[in-house]
Amino acid sequence: MATLEIKDLHVAVTDEETQHAKEILKGVNLTMKTGEIHAIMGPNGTGKSTLSETIMGAAAYQVTQGDILLNGESIVDMPVDERARKGLFLGMQYPAEIQGVTNAEFLRAAMNAKRADDDQISVMQFLKELDKNLDLLDMSEEMTERYLNEGFSGGEKKRNEILQLMMIKPSFALLDEIDSGLDIDALKVVSKGVNAMRGDNFGSLIITHYQRLLNYIVPDVVHIMMDGRIVKTGDAQLAKTLEREGYAGIRDDLDLDVALVDEN
Amino acid sequence: MDAVEQTMDAEKLTQLAEQHQEPEWLIKKRVAAFQQMELLKYPKVLRFNYRNWQMASNQLDWTESNVKLVKSDLADTHLLQLGQTTISVNLPTKLADQGVILTDLFTAVNDYPELVHQYLMTQAIPTDDNYLASYHAAFLTSGIFLYVPANVEMDEPIKLEILQDSTQTSDFNTHTLIVAGENTKFSVIQQMNTVGNQDNLANALVEVIAKENSHVSISALDQLGENTRAYLQRRASVARNATVNWSIGMMNEGDTVGNFETTLSEDGAQANAKVVAITKGNQRVGINTGIKNVGKHTAGDILQRGVILDQSQLVFNGIGDIIHGAAGSESEQENRILMMSNEAHGNANPILLIDENDVLAGHAASVGQVDQTQLYYLMSRGLSQATAEHLVIRGFLGAVLTAIPSKVVRQKLISIIERKLADGHEDK
Repeated sequence: MATLEIKDLHVAVTDEETQHAKEILKGVNLTMKTGEIHAIMGPNGTGKSTLSETIMGAAAYQVTQGDILLNGESIVDMPVDERARKGLFLGMQYPAEIQGVTNAEFLRAAMNAKRADDDQISVMQFLKELDKNLDLLDMSEEMTERYLNEGFSGGEKKRNEILQLMMIKPSFALLDEIDSGLDIDALKVVSKGVNAMRGDNFGSLIITHYQRLLNYIVPDVVHIMMDGRIVKTGDAQLAKTLEREGYAGIRDDLDLDVALVDEN
Repeated sequence: MDAVEQTMDAEKLTQLAEQHQEPEWLIKKRVAAFQQMELLKYPKVLRFNYRNWQMASNQLDWTESNVKLVKSDLADTHLLQLGQTTISVNLPTKLADQGVILTDLFTAVNDYPELVHQYLMTQAIPTDDNYLASYHAAFLTSGIFLYVPANVEMDEPIKLEILQDSTQTSDFNTHTLIVAGENTKFSVIQQMNTVGNQDNLANALVEVIAKENSHVSISALDQLGENTRAYLQRRASVARNATVNWSIGMMNEGDTVGNFETTLSEDGAQANAKVVAITKGNQRVGINTGIKNVGKHTAGDILQRGVILDQSQLVFNGIGDIIHGAAGSESEQENRILMMSNEAHGNANPILLIDENDVLAGHAASVGQVDQTQLYYLMSRGLSQATAEHLVIRGFLGAVLTAIPSKVVRQKLISIIERKLADGHEDK
């Protein structure tokens, strides 16, 4: 069993023009284990993506206080690639496009990155795994010979993120708005991929605006985040309550003094 | 480069050429070129100052190279030269029977004097083109002559391998003359390497005369050594409805000036020029790649991609020159440089000289750093920074690499690039 612990995490982002550091996360606490699916919901501009990018190690986010522990080991000073090899994966909202590198070549390189030099995956083994996952995600084999994300539609990119997830098999997958821009069919396919990963050796932190995704990937724990903090934690039912009452309702129930960006 | 000061004059040059059993017309050509030199200048490479480089010597020595030093790098090389010594010529009988000529240039000068006299530095690169071209004509040391008579088509490329002999101090002025007759179709792979570590100059010219409706594709893989300062000039003259396509891998280790131009002389002629360059260490490389539209309805396309490492410098000038009267012509170009080091210098300059209204012309140029978003994405999947960078660079060069027609050349180029990137990073 693997664990991911976030302790009193404070994160700032520096504005490039003004050089002014702005605090986005203001003390986040969260503990998860493999075998669990957690969802984080929250209004726009509340720090959900900041949390996932900080856990992965994006350079723009500075941890000013607190810690992130993967299996008891602090990872805040680790480079991105090392965190990935230790078992973290971030399904991105806007995956990069890279011309000249095929999807298949990239997948193999990524799978081999965690393996020892004398234990690289064989071509046969790789293709077998690839075929199985392509099938499950309803993707054509032709997609793997295309250049990485280049010219992919929004839906194809999201599917490709899930394909990578299934091939790399991390301990923890952070999925950042994996449902944005997806029609209902694509949403089902993506959910199928994540559900196929469920098990004792996999945990996921799913970031979403909408309860809809959680009908397909039923979470064990739901957290509500507002203004850089987790303000409420519950079970799958909490997402449904939220859908009914909205973020303003939750805020007022909890008597929080938080301005919502999109509030009229 | 010897400490001993040497001088050269017309008389001495004549004697040296006579020793070499050259015909009178060639000796006259040498002497005329020698006398022109003082009136000419180095070719201008915008934003690249190499005025202080010594690019010419005043010696002409006939040297023998030790053929035991050589192992051919290409499978089934058709012609292999080391320094001034021709090691092998293997023209398939089928081609010889069709009248194809492939031989070293000095043999051709005596065996096919009319052909060589007609085309050698008369049409594509005249001897008075610039100082370094006239120096080349005066001090020519070696070369290759490929003549493909009208209507001959070849399935397999002609492979030429030229090795500079730097196991000794010797000048290396090598000339490749390619004449493509009417309606011919063929490709040539030219590979140039250096054997040995002596400081030497290299002055390598390639002329392509592409006659009406011929289709010629030339892939060049330049890998001259670190201690070679090189001037490389390649030029094609393209006749009516003919096409010349260049793929040039500038993978030299030393300071280099590249001067590539294709003249679309007659109506309907086409050319494209793809250039890939990597510079590292303290290397300085300046490259002009130009296509000149002279005939009507001609089309030229230039694509240059470069990667610069360490403290090196790379300048790409793309020159699209459409002369008055070349109506209905097209001139496209894209020049891009990727900076892998903050201490490296890159320039990508599109130069459009257009003297005709009825044309289509476009250009793009950029000098930039590795896309951090791409790097982060790859690293978030566990790839090390070095591996991720290599993939991003491969992606950047992909536009040129994927367009190289020969798979052999493409694979070779990719492996050279990987090696250079590895070396460049170690240097840091």
